[in-house]
Amino acid sequence: MRTKIYPIKDILWFLAFLGLMSGIFRMWFGLGVTTNMVDSIPWGLWKILNMVAGAALATSGFTIGMLYYVFRIKLFKPLVVPSVVIAFLGYGSSLFSLLFDIGLPWRFWIPFVSWSPHSFLYEVFWCVSLYWAVTAFEFTPSLFDRFKSEKAARILHGMGFGAAVLGISLSSLHHSSLGSLFLVTPQRLFPLWYSSLLPLFFIISAMGAGMMFMLLLRILYAHFYDPEPVFGPMPKEGAITCSLDGTPVKATGSGKDMPMLETLAIIAVSILGVYLALKISDLFINGSWKYLTAGTWESWLYIFELLIGTVIPILLVALPKSRRSPTGLGIAALSASAGLVLNRLDVGIIGYFRDAGFVYFPSFSEWTLCLGIISATILVFLFFVENVSVFDENWKTRHVAKGIFSGSFDNLTHVLKSVLSETAQRVTLIAVISIPFAWIIQYPPYHESKNDATIVQPSIGLDALRKSLRIDGNRDGVFADFPHYEHQNRLGGEESCNNCHHLFLPGDKSTPCFRCHRNMLQSTLIFDHTLHVSAVADSEGFSGLHPENYTCKVCHTEGSVKTASNAKSCLECHNRDMGLADVKDSSLDISYATSYQRAMHGTCIKCHDLKAEELHKDQLNKCFICHKSLTPKDNLIDKMREPKLLLVENVRSESD
Amino acid sequence: MEQWLDFAKGPLFTFAFLFMILGLFRHVVLQIYYLIVRKGKRLRNAPWKKIILDTLSWVVPVKHFIPGTAFFSSASFLSHIGVILVPVFLADHIVLWEGFLGLNLPSISSGFADVLTLFTIVCLIILFCCRLFVGRQRAMSGTMDYLILIMVFLPFASGFLASHPKMNPFSWDMMMLTHILSAEVLFIMIPFTKLAHIVLFFFDRISGLHWQLRPGAGDKVADALFGKEARV
Repeated sequence: MRTKIYPIKDILWFLAFLGLMSGIFRMWFGLGVTTNMVDSIPWGLWKILNMVAGAALATSGFTIGMLYYVFRIKLFKPLVVPSVVIAFLGYGSSLFSLLFDIGLPWRFWIPFVSWSPHSFLYEVFWCVSLYWAVTAFEFTPSLFDRFKSEKAARILHGMGFGAAVLGISLSSLHHSSLGSLFLVTPQRLFPLWYSSLLPLFFIISAMGAGMMFMLLLRILYAHFYDPEPVFGPMPKEGAITCSLDGTPVKATGSGKDMPMLETLAIIAVSILGVYLALKISDLFINGSWKYLTAGTWESWLYIFELLIGTVIPILLVALPKSRRSPTGLGIAALSASAGLVLNRLDVGIIGYFRDAGFVYFPSFSEWTLCLGIISATILVFLFFVENVSVFDENWKTRHVAKGIFSGSFDNLTHVLKSVLSETAQRVTLIAVISIPFAWIIQYPPYHESKNDATIVQPSIGLDALRKSLRIDGNRDGVFADFPHYEHQNRLGGEESCNNCHHLFLPGDKSTPCFRCHRNMLQSTLIFDHTLHVSAVADSEGFSGLHPENYTCKVCHTEGSVKTASNAKSCLECHNRDMGLADVKDSSLDISYATSYQRAMHGTCIKCHDLKAEELHKDQLNKCFICHKSLTPKDNLIDKMREPKLLLVENVRSESD
Repeated sequence: MEQWLDFAKGPLFTFAFLFMILGLFRHVVLQIYYLIVRKGKRLRNAPWKKIILDTLSWVVPVKHFIPGTAFFSSASFLSHIGVILVPVFLADHIVLWEGFLGLNLPSISSGFADVLTLFTIVCLIILFCCRLFVGRQRAMSGTMDYLILIMVFLPFASGFLASHPKMNPFSWDMMMLTHILSAEVLFIMIPFTKLAHIVLFFFDRISGLHWQLRPGAGDKVADALFGKEARV
């Protein structure tokens, strides 16, 4: 019975290990290198898919709790524990993914002590973490069941009602707050998705689709572990839905849990129906229906989202034939869950970052970490399903197939045969394969050149003669307009070039900055070994079959291992042709150029600091002097252009 | 060729090396796991002193030579010296260690390394010939045994040629690429073949505790070795 889940588990383990590696690389190298997020796109896949959508799918914890504890529908008793487990794991994984998403993960606890009640995210953080604690509390009785501590379990079961009520209030608070988060940015969110009712939409859709997700998991559980209560009695005693040779065995009739699932589906789709009605009427009241008929891809996406999120589930549940079949219900549930996730992606990313300047597509690391966390969550869920009484209380009597030890005396390997039967061996084998794979695919230094955001582009001339330059190395919109010609004039014409252009490529004069400082954030190796080998062979006049093999001893000390440390200093040859005639220190290493950002900042700020002191212009070394895009229009920057106002400003600040 | 070399030295090398390290680590973990979980009770009364002394006696297996195979055994033992020393302590490899892990190991001189390499190559050829021509060893050898010898031989031979350009009939790039790629294939093979004795050697004597044959185990051995038809 459990063999069907093995290949799925293997894939989940593989994804989880890939995610583990991308998590490590994210912590090691930082967000800038591992993700495709930039300053104008401050959140991505992790926040929206793992956090917002993950939390929304886990709402069944409070909806089922509400149906069972508040409305006293005893029918749903078998679903109370699984829904709590889903909430616990869903919120746990949301919070866990948030750890990777925030810039300084080790300061995640700051909102607990540093209160900022005016912030939506502050409220979301508090509610989510408190709610997670509540679900953990609700979940513990099942663990006590496992460890046969009946007294503790009974006490905790008795407290379930209080915990459920607390959970309900916390959930409804933060789900609407997540919607409110997008409420404050009407200028960014596409009008189709923007509405003043966003908080309401968020909580209603999460309630409806959360129930459908619960339904989906119940049917999947039945499919993989215990088909009888849902798919009906099997044709033979102890037979499986899938016989040994792989042909499916048809179930006869429907199981005893089907009435409960049908009721749940009807409740869920009624909520989804209300959601659909609200959404459509909101479109007309807001007047944004004209975007719906505009025929852009956004309008099609919106229609598609509503179709799979609401219309298809409602239709499938409304038709008696599909409602009474587990497969029909499963498809309806899957469609509703997918619709919910798509809705969150639309609101959070697709409809939100339209004016960001370029299209955000998550990097490989983002995908793998996202899928890895989801896979790890599913694996933990499966662990609970297999070892704790989650779905049924008779789990102990069920046949649990232990890994079968097949003594495989393989005369070649002694490994491969037994691997397939033992969980420990399977999992470690997957780790051995997936971790090196993840390493070469994700290790950031292997992919530097592919990450276009960090490769420096030349500055843009603002006029035909390039008198004024726009410096925007990685083209992310945070630029500095640099009056090059003006600086040249002010500092003394042609003589002054060397003030900034400190090093040239051999034979060149006034090499542009980006030719050496090639990476926005990291140092670049500008020493080209291959080029040197052939150039030295040419200049020394080597000939024969392998002229370039004789060049080693020109730079490297003979008889020792050839490394950079025992090579000739750069200046021994390049003292004339690279503009370094004045440098006295002959061991100066010029093989690395610092990052573009550091080079620009270092060169400009050093001089501006000096001039600010010299000329008594204390604004001269401020950020907005160069980065005009960083300041709002009405800020000091405009006043700076008029000397008189500047004086007034100075006087005012002094008198303050 | 330049790109190929870079790729083989960079991502591919990392993959193979990490694969080997993790694969061997997996063997250690599984061994310890099974020893503790499955054989916990037996371990308590295990004759540890005897096990350790036994393991050490196999490090220099002079005691265990059987008269008929002494030549084969000594060649096998002697080849290990070069196989362990040269890849780890060769000066050119020390640079790699330093680059990857920051390790500053002592190195052996290049002359000594040459001698050891040639010695190892000779030993490997003797082993191969023994397996091929001596009846007793031939009967015991499978495809993988020959393949392992060839795969160990390749990096040594190509490395020797690459470091002696005057004897090298091929281009240096080609030789170096062969050297790196064959070593990487070897790395990937290690955890899944007999070469895993790099770590499993140390568990060899303890595994005496594993032996508790089930009913019918002999038949299973026969099945695995000769196939089911042989028994009928």
